[in-house]
Amino acid sequence: MMESISNLWSIPLLVIIPMLTAIIVNFLYDKAIKPISICSAIIILIISIISPYGYHWFTGHPAFNPDTLLFTFNPNIFGYRLSLEFIFGPLQHIMIVISSLILLFCVTLSTIGLTKRQGPYMALLYLLFMSSVIVIMVNDLYHLWIVVEIGSLIVVGVAAASGTSISHKAALKYAFFSAISGAGLAVSLALILGLTGFANISDAIIYLRQFGIGDMATVLYIAFGFFVLSWMYAGGLAPIHPLKSEVYGASYPHATVLLQVQSKLMLVAIGIIMLRLFSMLPFVKEVMIFLSVITMMIGVIMALIQVDFRWIIAYLIISHSGLVTLGIGLGTQEGLVGGIFQAVNDIIYMTILLLCCEALFYFGGKTSTKEAYGIAKKSPFITTAVILGAIAAAGIPPFNGFQSEIILIQACLKEGLPEIAVLILMVSVTTFIALLRGIYRIFLKPPELQDQDDSNVDLPKVLIIGIIIFIILSIIIGIYPDIVLRFIIPVVKEVLLI
Amino acid sequence: MTEITIQLLGFIAATVLIVVGMGGMLFLDNLIKKVIAFTLLSDGVNLLLVALAYIEGGIVPILLPGMSISEFTSRAALVFPAGIVLTNIVIGVSTTAILVALVIMLYRRYGTLKASVILKGERR
Repeated sequence: MMESISNLWSIPLLVIIPMLTAIIVNFLYDKAIKPISICSAIIILIISIISPYGYHWFTGHPAFNPDTLLFTFNPNIFGYRLSLEFIFGPLQHIMIVISSLILLFCVTLSTIGLTKRQGPYMALLYLLFMSSVIVIMVNDLYHLWIVVEIGSLIVVGVAAASGTSISHKAALKYAFFSAISGAGLAVSLALILGLTGFANISDAIIYLRQFGIGDMATVLYIAFGFFVLSWMYAGGLAPIHPLKSEVYGASYPHATVLLQVQSKLMLVAIGIIMLRLFSMLPFVKEVMIFLSVITMMIGVIMALIQVDFRWIIAYLIISHSGLVTLGIGLGTQEGLVGGIFQAVNDIIYMTILLLCCEALFYFGGKTSTKEAYGIAKKSPFITTAVILGAIAAAGIPPFNGFQSEIILIQACLKEGLPEIAVLILMVSVTTFIALLRGIYRIFLKPPELQDQDDSNVDLPKVLIIGIIIFIILSIIIGIYPDIVLRFIIPVVKEVLLI
Repeated sequence: MTEITIQLLGFIAATVLIVVGMGGMLFLDNLIKKVIAFTLLSDGVNLLLVALAYIEGGIVPILLPGMSISEFTSRAALVFPAGIVLTNIVIGVSTTAILVALVIMLYRRYGTLKASVILKGERR
């Protein structure tokens, strides 16, 4: 970390630029929206790539070393920060760079696909990205609560924007539950604040470690309960997974890409915070592992019985969220590395699949697996891409999914949980079966009606470029996992130290 | 026996509001009633935070002329919960607005406010 107590310049920019773009495009019409949105996305991507590591304090200061009377970033030194704090470290770096890249393609795609109400919709996409960026950088309970609340409202808006009755119903259900979950997180914040006196997560942890919880254990249990509720809700974990899967299935595929990015970042961010804050409670890891296992199983089983390709992907996103939370729930170095790595990989291969799903909209928009459309004949490129995406999602080498899943399996075996390792393998196999079933019906099988239009469709270049880039990323990370792991491992070591 | 203080009463009232609000949101069928239940829930959370920050004989956290630092630190109310309450009020209003907008859209489409009727038939 940079040994400076100056606020890092890039952190406010990463928050303010999407927010400003959202405000501006909201008032613009047609042609002005596209250049502003794309320029903004490029600027965000550049900032996220070149930004150094550091902190931003809204009040207060870095930790104060009592021995040297100097500010310090050493996580082993107990010193109160007394601040609302954002962090931009290696984990944030890799996550935000990938999210920014995804934002660039999603924004460009949405300017091509949408004709009406483009401004407000674009604003929602930018706010969705902003909430993802904030949640991964936050190190205080106040901002965590705000971003979960605001992020939920934006998800409601994005889901409702597709304008169907299904999307309105999905949005309504999600909005009602967001109200409950957000209030729960506020109660949790109040309880931890009352217990420790600190809103800064590092301060609160240091207080709990130094002074213990004594008679107030019950309060911490209640706070943990509300945290779990928010975690389940934000990430779409079982048993409330239908809310999230409906939102994924009801939104436009390019919006679902950003929605799943937000979910994964929230799962990682809240999961790590839970692990740090409540690890002194006896059953925290068990609860997290239990939720992960049922999410993995229910998600993949539901994916198997779906008859629409969008819904198959929606449930697979849920199922693979369970893999992310499993790694975090294990709480070991291998587990955490595997969980966070899985989140990165999951974002990449689900983006490939969802972009292929977006391509289906240019072939008539039919995604039901009850009929055959023979897309392979019309577009061999999309068919190849979707098969490669499915292979990556199933964890088959040399794609990226393999690397994170093998780490997770090793972590489970080291923890003496071979049954969960077997379950991970089952999820991989079932993922491939579920996807292959949909791919065969929609892409590979010749159409049953011979009079279907066989004319070639011109797909947007940005869609093709996006798919190629993410496939290349998937293969490169699959062959050289250290490209991503070198960002994750130092953060995990730091988390486990505190 | 526990002394009944204003703070304790605040906690009890907040708990009642939160439980009633959550119950209403989960179990009532009418969408408008669900929205009203949400406002109760939100108010309960606000009251919890206010009660948390309450200090018997406390003062506003402004260091006035002539006041010693020790007197200020012992009597000044916590600032942070007030900030959270303010934020929660804003978020509560936003959430209510979105909920009402969605309810209006669904009412126009289905002609009813009953969640059981609107959500029947579900997805495809």
